Amino acid sequence: MDSTLPAVAEELLKEIKKAFEETSHGTDTFFFRLKFIFGPSAVPALDLVDQRSVTRVTSPSGRTAYQVLGSSGKLYTCYSSCHFCTCPAFGFTVLQKSESFLCKHILAVYLSQAMGACQELAVSEEQLTSILLAEEEDEG
Amino acid sequence: CRGGLAERLCRLQNRERSAISFWRHQCISDAKIPSDKSGVLIVKILEMFEECTIQVAICQQLEQLPATLSSEDAVINAEEPILKVLFARETAGHLKSRPQDVIHIYPPWQKLLLKNTDVPVIMNTYFSQKVLLNEHSEVREKTYGLTKMLIKKNIISLAQTLRLDDLDDELHQESSDNQVACAPQIRNNCDSKQHPLTQSAVNDSLLEMVESQGAVGWREAQVRVVIQRVYCLPAREGYRSHVQGNKPLSMFCRLCLLVQDAYGMFSEVQLQSLSSADDVEQYYRRWEGKFCCLAGMKILQRTTRGRTLGLFSLIDSLWPPVVPVKVPGQSQDSEMMTTDLPPPSFCYILTVQSGEVHVEVDEEEQISNLYQPPAVHGLNEILQIDGCNERCSFWAQVLYLRLQTKHSLPIAQREIWLFVTDSTLQNVVRITPKVVAVSVAASFVLSKEITETLSVASQLVFFKDALWGNGRIICVERTVLLLQKPLLYSAAGADLSELTGPVRLDELDSTTQANSICAVRGTIVGVNESTAFSWPTCDRCGNGKLELCPQDRGLLYCNQCSEVVISPVLKMQLEIFLSCPSRSQSTVKVKVWHEISFAALRLFVLINMLLSLQSYEVQSVLGKEVGLLNCYVHSVTSQPNCVALEEIVLL
Repeated sequence: MDSTLPAVAEELLKEIKKAFEETSHGTDTFFFRLKFIFGPSAVPALDLVDQRSVTRVTSPSGRTAYQVLGSSGKLYTCYSSCHFCTCPAFGFTVLQKSESFLCKHILAVYLSQAMGACQELAVSEEQLTSILLAEEEDEG
Repeated sequence: CRGGLAERLCRLQNRERSAISFWRHQCISDAKIPSDKSGVLIVKILEMFEECTIQVAICQQLEQLPATLSSEDAVINAEEPILKVLFARETAGHLKSRPQDVIHIYPPWQKLLLKNTDVPVIMNTYFSQKVLLNEHSEVREKTYGLTKMLIKKNIISLAQTLRLDDLDDELHQESSDNQVACAPQIRNNCDSKQHPLTQSAVNDSLLEMVESQGAVGWREAQVRVVIQRVYCLPAREGYRSHVQGNKPLSMFCRLCLLVQDAYGMFSEVQLQSLSSADDVEQYYRRWEGKFCCLAGMKILQRTTRGRTLGLFSLIDSLWPPVVPVKVPGQSQDSEMMTTDLPPPSFCYILTVQSGEVHVEVDEEEQISNLYQPPAVHGLNEILQIDGCNERCSFWAQVLYLRLQTKHSLPIAQREIWLFVTDSTLQNVVRITPKVVAVSVAASFVLSKEITETLSVASQLVFFKDALWGNGRIICVERTVLLLQKPLLYSAAGADLSELTGPVRLDELDSTTQANSICAVRGTIVGVNESTAFSWPTCDRCGNGKLELCPQDRGLLYCNQCSEVVISPVLKMQLEIFLSCPSRSQSTVKVKVWHEISFAALRLFVLINMLLSLQSYEVQSVLGKEVGLLNCYVHSVTSQPNCVALEEIVLL
């Protein structure tokens, strides 16, 4: 059976995006639904959006990555081509326990995209490469 | 919660939470179902599974449910709509529902319609209650409560990202879970004469095709390449979430080609999955060395030398190219072609997009000049190769096959060791060993045909592109084993003559190592009486677990053949200690086996032998000379200085 949650989440985010484009605010319904699907990640993710913590980083070749300034002040990297985040909660809750398919940072990335709250940063190829590789070195 | 959206959700959440607990409290204290039915959704659960912490229930919406009806009577009416109802973890824990349960979902609940499906999704189902219909179901409730129900859990792929733009669904990113779904048949040249791929120009550069991905018209562009190698790779990807632990991975493999373009650049193309590795041989014979056209490939990966040593060891064996190749960027005069290029440092791995034909092989045409057939060497030359991770090809006789016993792994995943030899090792009196061990890695997909043939009799096997390194030959991914000589091979000076005369093994000596086979001779100096064991076996099938015949307790019965065994073969096993002149410092322990056919032996000799193996007459065996026994070396230890062998029968 194909998975249901991603399709539901996608539809929710699309609705939020449409509402924000038209009226620049959402209805209570969206929040209830977000909470139902994403559970405990919903409020922290919205908090990150409030703080404008999400930055889309792009390089001249068109590659992108996202950097999210976590509540602890740490900068986490989220990939754009698949669901991956360098935060410990991702490794634990998503990869190990499959209790969620996103962490709050990835959800914040999507919400920021939907609500137009993403900061933009253009960097060189080398800088983007070092952002993507930085986590490997730390763990090395 | 700080200001803004988060605070808003916090407030809403708190309100919702108190409404839920108030409602639940009301349901418990007031056993009757509230009479206000407006907005109540009544559903019957058909199927359930879990995703993350959400429980997904495929349900049928019921119109109404009179209290007198039992749940069996609420028969599934095909016209009633199907819904997908989501329950939060806490609600699911509260409901403890099972398929066939009927649930009342009270407002406020939410409905979501997804694109491209007509099954609506119902969420925010916090106010749900299970309906207990009659006495029977209450009893069933109690018994169900005792057994824990297992719910299937869907693991969500990380590759499935969410798209917020309103593009058509065809452009959505495909989940990579389905990579092993069979792509349609690859048509050979005969078919293509009636249905040519397209009429567009054929390119000869892989790099250009890869770099123009996504540009207008790249789907139709074709690249003409030479198929240098045909092999199969185990199809591990896409199976991680579906494999139940004990399914042997070696069952699934996919056909792969290593291709090279006119500029000398290589690419590995992964094609459809094969039902068995046996099919690789026919593709190899039809396709290797020929030209083929690739179109609309999907780039799976750009890999480098450091990441895929196996692939690059194969590429290195094909470098430098045997004919001059084009130099990119130069005009294509023949003076600009060269063979003097550094070996490749990267390689694209391509795969077919499902749904279309993308590979056309020119089977009728001749073998390309660029094709490098495997270079065959004698085993003696291979043993002298200096490097590490070198691909080598040879033709050898398999003498003995051994499964490495790691009991923690299922049989299909265990390593197999083949002991092989050829005339270059046998016919010369030299310091090199007479027999070489080839280990077959657990990841290597061994075809059933070969395994069956090998276990029956000694076979000449062609090892194509095996790996030599650290003093061992291994069959790894991209190695191919064939039972017949390849059509094309280069054999510069190799001695490929057949073996004449019986095969000889190295004799046990101080250089003998574990996991090898050798010949042993010596004098019996001791017998481990506790290991003496004899038992009858069926002369037809070799079954060692015979039973007493129920009708006549004097006869033996084989339940595999379902017949009485009239002349059983007696098998005997014993551990003996030898003193071997060739390795005099060690204690040599040999597990010996003997088979005696009842019919072939006279009774008194039999009794004598049995007695001599029992404790009565150990003395009669001591001092006896044991002639050359073929043995497998289990272990060699230095402290204590001991060699443990097992007598074997060569194929």
